[in-house]
Amino acid sequence: MADMHEKQLSADNSETVDSTDLLREGLEKEINRLSRFSTRGIIALALFLVVSILAWRGFPFLPDPDTVSPLLGKPPSAGIISTVLLLYTFSAILLSLSRMTAGIEHRSSFSHVGFLTAFFLFYYFGKSLEGNYWAVFGSGITILGVESYRIWSFCAEGISKNREDIEYVTRTGRPPPQE
Amino acid sequence: MFATLAGKALVPVGLAVTGFMVVCCLVLYSVIRDDLHRAEIVHATNIADTILKSTRYAMHKSDRETLATIIRNVGEQRGVDHVRIFNKKGIVNFSAKSGEINRQMDKNAEGCIVCHKGTLPVTNLGTMQQARTFRSPEGMEVIAITAPIYNGPDCSSAACHIHPPGQKVLGTLDIGLSRAERDRSLTMLRIQMITFTLMSLILTIGGVTALLRRNVFLPVQKLRNYVESTENISDIPEPPPHLTHDLDIIATSYYKVKMNAADKKNNFEKSV
Repeated sequence: MADMHEKQLSADNSETVDSTDLLREGLEKEINRLSRFSTRGIIALALFLVVSILAWRGFPFLPDPDTVSPLLGKPPSAGIISTVLLLYTFSAILLSLSRMTAGIEHRSSFSHVGFLTAFFLFYYFGKSLEGNYWAVFGSGITILGVESYRIWSFCAEGISKNREDIEYVTRTGRPPPQE
Repeated sequence: MFATLAGKALVPVGLAVTGFMVVCCLVLYSVIRDDLHRAEIVHATNIADTILKSTRYAMHKSDRETLATIIRNVGEQRGVDHVRIFNKKGIVNFSAKSGEINRQMDKNAEGCIVCHKGTLPVTNLGTMQQARTFRSPEGMEVIAITAPIYNGPDCSSAACHIHPPGQKVLGTLDIGLSRAERDRSLTMLRIQMITFTLMSLILTIGGVTALLRRNVFLPVQKLRNYVESTENISDIPEPPPHLTHDLDIIATSYYKVKMNAADKKNNFEKSV
């Protein structure tokens, strides 16, 4: 009877150790994922800088706007593109700040690089890239800067919370209390 | 810096506000510059039309002296870089600069190539296409308009003239205006926009910092000092007054917890 009780206790103990290890492993995995995710904003910013350099050089690999215009039709005027750029910048910053406030994990950085590249292309095919280059560049740096900060602060908070949880699991052997 | 409460509050606000203002200023600057450029072209085209209308009678009469005087006088005006009239072969017949007269113009030069890039020269161009900008040998930015001098019934039917009616363009008037005034305006605009952006940035950051300090940082500091100073004593004083509402609740709760703990400790000690 005593043997059976001891066996039961040791089985319980080993189960607890296993679940604690699993829990800790899960938290460490989450920390690694957040560490990788935190660089996403910077990578998007670097990609945007590459696109900006290409735009600065006048997209040397693209056909001349005059040859493309007959195929695609007349491009929108620089005024219309600039108005849309302002609206886009305003909404993107607002969206990013709202996500920051709500603490939402959202992987939107690379889509912004796509939108900004589209603005560069519209200005290029509208033959007004030279006069509006810095507006798109400024918009990109602002949006991606705010996005990078949002992602970095979200991940930093998550990593810090997970480290605290690991410490709690190691100390108590129990899962951390949920918020 | 980024991990502190102040950094967390100020970095996104400063970045978003400044960035958006910079983009607005850049777009506005670009729009104003384009408008000024269009106005410049219209102004230069109007001057070219005025010169053509003023010289038309002298051309009919083949009064070369009057024509040369008009061109020279216009060329002496402040802000005019050059005025010249050249014939269909590209030879300068009249110019405000005497050294240019009888000089052959290169059809591939900037301003000429627009019409002469095909086998047959283009005879009708829009106002914006007639304009070109370049830097003069003196280093001055110049905007130039090339306005064609069209043949008309009064030209081909005049007794003294030899222009056949089939010839559409008789020659070209080329006028160049200095862009110094426009550059000065744009430089002033740039300085004003940079100053305006910097002032807005300082006001935004300053305003947010002042409000945060008054409503968050100082009360949090007061609460922290209170908690730290009463951590190891049982008979704790009342929470500090004038804390903001949420912090006031936290301070009161902490005070009650400490008092309860002190009571329990006293009761335990009495029972022992």
